[in-house]
Amino acid sequence: MSEKLQQIINKQNKALVGDNQKVDEVIQLVGFIVGEEEFSIPILSIQEIIKPIGWTRVPQIPSYILGVFNLRGSVIPLIDLRARFGLPLQKHTDETRFIVMKNGDDVAGFVIDRLTEAIRMPKRDIGPAPDTISESETMIDGVGKQADRIVTILKVHKLLERNF
Amino acid sequence: MDEFEEILQDFLIEAFELIEQLDQDLVELETRPDDLDLLNRIFRVAHTIKGASSFLNFDVLTHLTHHMENLLNMARHGDLVIDANVMDVILESIDLMKALLVRIRDHGEDSGLDVSGCVARLDVVANGGEAPEPVEVPIPVVQAPVVVQNSEEEPDYSTMSDAQVEAEIERLLAQKQAEAAAKRSANAEPSKPAEVEPDYANMSDAEVEAEIERLLLEKQAEAAAKRIQKTESAAPQEPVVQSVPVVVPAPQPKTEVAPVAKATPAASTTPTTPRRSEPKEEGDSKGGGVEQTIRVDVKRLDHLMNLIGELVLGKNRLIKINDDVEERYEGEAFLEELNQVVSIVSLVTTDLQIAVMKTRMLPIGKVFNKFPRMIRDLSRELNKKIELEIAGEDTELDKSIVEEIGDPLVHIIRNSCDHGIEVGDVRIAAGKTDVGTIQLKAYHEGNHIVIQIIDDGKGLDADMLKQKSIEKGIITEKEADAMSEKEAFGLIFRPGFSTAAQVTSVSGRGVGMDVVKTNIEKLNGMIDIDSEVGKGTSMKLKIPLTLAIIQALLVGVQEEYYAIPLASVLETVRINKDDIYTVENRSVMRLRDEVLSLVHIGDIFEVARVFDTSEHAYVVVLGLAESKIGLIVDTLIGQEEIVIKSLGEYLKGIEGIAGATIRGDGGVTLIVDVAALMQMAKSVKSTIGSESGETKKIGVKNSASDYCVMIVDDSKTDRTIMRKALEPLGVTLVEATDGVEALNILKQGDHFFDAMLIDIEMPRMDGYTLASEIKKYNKYKNLPLIAVTSRAGKADRMRGVESGMVEYITKPYSPEYLMNVVKRNIKFNEGL
Repeated sequence: MSEKLQQIINKQNKALVGDNQKVDEVIQLVGFIVGEEEFSIPILSIQEIIKPIGWTRVPQIPSYILGVFNLRGSVIPLIDLRARFGLPLQKHTDETRFIVMKNGDDVAGFVIDRLTEAIRMPKRDIGPAPDTISESETMIDGVGKQADRIVTILKVHKLLERNF
Repeated sequence: MDEFEEILQDFLIEAFELIEQLDQDLVELETRPDDLDLLNRIFRVAHTIKGASSFLNFDVLTHLTHHMENLLNMARHGDLVIDANVMDVILESIDLMKALLVRIRDHGEDSGLDVSGCVARLDVVANGGEAPEPVEVPIPVVQAPVVVQNSEEEPDYSTMSDAQVEAEIERLLAQKQAEAAAKRSANAEPSKPAEVEPDYANMSDAEVEAEIERLLLEKQAEAAAKRIQKTESAAPQEPVVQSVPVVVPAPQPKTEVAPVAKATPAASTTPTTPRRSEPKEEGDSKGGGVEQTIRVDVKRLDHLMNLIGELVLGKNRLIKINDDVEERYEGEAFLEELNQVVSIVSLVTTDLQIAVMKTRMLPIGKVFNKFPRMIRDLSRELNKKIELEIAGEDTELDKSIVEEIGDPLVHIIRNSCDHGIEVGDVRIAAGKTDVGTIQLKAYHEGNHIVIQIIDDGKGLDADMLKQKSIEKGIITEKEADAMSEKEAFGLIFRPGFSTAAQVTSVSGRGVGMDVVKTNIEKLNGMIDIDSEVGKGTSMKLKIPLTLAIIQALLVGVQEEYYAIPLASVLETVRINKDDIYTVENRSVMRLRDEVLSLVHIGDIFEVARVFDTSEHAYVVVLGLAESKIGLIVDTLIGQEEIVIKSLGEYLKGIEGIAGATIRGDGGVTLIVDVAALMQMAKSVKSTIGSESGETKKIGVKNSASDYCVMIVDDSKTDRTIMRKALEPLGVTLVEATDGVEALNILKQGDHFFDAMLIDIEMPRMDGYTLASEIKKYNKYKNLPLIAVTSRAGKADRMRGVESGMVEYITKPYSPEYLMNVVKRNIKFNEGL
């Protein structure tokens, strides 16, 4: 009896450990396109993704901040990632989306060209950011390699950091 | 332990409340030393605090209050006359008591402060002598609020040995006991156990228990007594004692606790001033009274206020939607019902908002209370005779503002005492009485509260102020010459300005008034100074009643809207462009007898000039603290109630923007920070009058498809007919289904249109409106607009011309005719 019980417990433990490893190894990302490149951010830092709505320009701020918009009663800054990354501006299309990202109490909306997909990526496939960029300055958290492409993972807290 | 904490908290709240009233009572007492009512009230504070603190084991505090009580008791029985010297000691002991209470609140214990000096002095005064007080010469130079130094100033005490002090305390204890007994008999409460000041250390547990029991009883009796006083606020507070100046049992059979006393108060005194908000003391359920007030955490009120804010936003939005619906479904039956609902919701929301605002209101007396004491101290310190008159202390305003207003008022009043009021001799020489008066008034004025500080001192001398400012390099001589008297008065608010020839500890460090201005501006308030040399100075602070929800004036510039707090708007004026003059690169205008400097809101907020601005402009005259400026805007939208929202961490601290609000249409509108805007206006270079040079984009037409025509019609068939008619030309055609869409296409600027064909009757935005909208843009001024419509009346044609249409084609038409009209208007083939 006790032997049997022991076996079951062992089995369960094994299953648990196995689960943990699995969860640890895979992170979920949401991929999107800005300019020519695909970027991604962890799904957990996304509050919501909405279609473009009107915003109000705010004076005396860098041009990559378009202004503020109303998200169900909260006034939230809107940042154009194209402009943030120094890419030429483009008109909003049907595929343009606002990704509302949060990190703690900081919330901001980001304009992206289009969404690609939700990506499940094993941790071992993620490499560090290129060495040429200094660690403290970079917005890149790492580079994910997939069979046919590479995906740049962005640091959400860096995106939400005020730098002016 | 938790229970203890709870009791402690209650004790602290009660104690601080009592003390608040105390200062004022004490100063009053000095002028009316034989007012028993006051004395009793003061005595009771000391007594209550003593009772509670001994129960809570705060020995130092107990020790101090015990001696205070002792002294006050003597005064109240007529054994001691309260003069300035006695009062100094009493005030000092009260300061010490406050310090102890603060210590208890912050650290949970009352050790660390030396009370022995003060206690000894209390005793000396109590024993009838002012002689051993070397400090207490007829006009004391230093009234010592700094309690720690006390023992140094008390030579009498320092010569005492510890044993002597002990003996003294013992003696006083005995005396106290006798007095307490006498008092009890006077109060006809013989059943109450003897009140002793027990030495807890020597007590057994049982004894401690008994002592606690006793104190609780005492407290309950006090509470009951208070209840009675409260219910008959105009009646004498302790009728029995009042009518009996000497310590003999009262002939009246009344007792403090007996509710009967309430029915037949010994009305021997004039009614006292009603006591201000002391919600705590009402209703101790034991007496069966219903609770009239409850304590509420401020956080809950704040939360409530936030929710109301959301509701106000919702209401604004509802009103806007209602307007839209009304326009669209004119005359439909359900509209009336909708209208009713909307107006009820809007009414209730407004009432609710006012109700919640009221719960947050505190009487300004809370702030004013500390001034009598301050004036008293200052007048002794400065050796001037100053009287303070307070009016309107019941005027209520938001809690957050009450908290902010204290400091500025302290500065202003100190300033008035120090620089305004002259010393007695000078006053008499100037033909005034030797007692200077400072009036402190508060009253409502619309959505504002006005606090006025008036002194009858020497007044402000504009020329002297200017001279001083030039010396200190605050202004140039040129600026000084251009200054009006009022502007010169405003100089006292400049940083680094101080008029006092010598810097005293009271004021004159040149920071005070600067701080006043900043603080008042923070509250969106205004300062108005009026002064006459030799007669005195009047300062008027005008402060909005609340901060979270405000009335705002909405203004438009180009396509943007901004909200300006109405509190800062003095007036709005419509002006012609010709009314604007340029003086030294700055735009100014004449407003009645004043010259007002102007700034364009577009220059401050970097608004691109897209529209052609008309001949007229509106000037919003802004006033803040003591400065004024005219803000030029394109349009005035109206007044609206707005809820201030922060822009968040990411966008905080943007110059000129105080926050944002959400409008009825769901859009975000920025709120102008008037104080910052005034600062910015100084450095902005004027572009008023200089038209933005629109670069003329003359596209070179190489082929037919370089021509671009927009067709605006809601009917698919009509659009197809036009398309078919124009296709042979080979020009590029863009279609829009209504005015709004057409305008959006134009704004996007993907195409440069050479002509537009516009139907008149369309949903959302009709042809006339579209035409006039388009003509607002500079760059579309010359864009030919061709009306294509079945409306053939003359009036329709006239309206078409008025709104900027160049051609008017009536349906039906032949395709050739349409083609020719378009060809003519886009100058087709001319360039090819």
